[in-house]
Amino acid sequence: MSNTADNRKSASDQARERAALRDAVPAFVTLLVLQGSLILVNPAGEPTGWYLLWSLSPLVPALWLMWTQLRGLRRADEYQRVVQLEAMAIGFGAALLLSFTGGLLDAAGIGDPAQSLQVTFIGAVLVWVSALAIKSRTR
Amino acid sequence: MKNCLRELRAVRRWSQADLADRLEVSRQTINAIETGRYDPSLPLAFKIAELFENPIESLFFPTEGSAPQS
Repeated sequence: MSNTADNRKSASDQARERAALRDAVPAFVTLLVLQGSLILVNPAGEPTGWYLLWSLSPLVPALWLMWTQLRGLRRADEYQRVVQLEAMAIGFGAALLLSFTGGLLDAAGIGDPAQSLQVTFIGAVLVWVSALAIKSRTR
Repeated sequence: MKNCLRELRAVRRWSQADLADRLEVSRQTINAIETGRYDPSLPLAFKIAELFENPIESLFFPTEGSAPQS
């Protein structure tokens, strides 16, 4: 899409996007590297103490990403905060519904709880991001 | 709440991004205000009024049924 004078981003949009990328990209790359290393290096035999620490290490970039979200929210203007709040509420609702569904299926002895946890996490994030994209559209 | 931001902007030949730059907000915010999807906060409304050199009440007016009952 061409960036004409009518649909170009404002200076505050550009500054916000640049700052968000500067904050989030290193955290996301760290998360991918740590997560990838956990998948690639799978120790044989009983997991030891260091492996437990290592397996929890993606929590560090995950917290980092959470902090970048907070910083992004502080940089956002008043309308963007409202949009983000609504998208988060929809994502939170999706997380509740998905975990409730997982719990019901687990109680009925259907499916794997570990899988339903993953579906809940990924599903809620997708719903949150989709709601944000839909609500951020300009007419 | 209705407003005449689009008209005032058109008179000055500003794009939404131009107005957003002057108000230090996102273009998305200008678009939401112009289309009536969002009512700006008082500080932002005052900033808009100052920029267009018009009193707030000449820029923003209540839609039917949105005015408080006395």
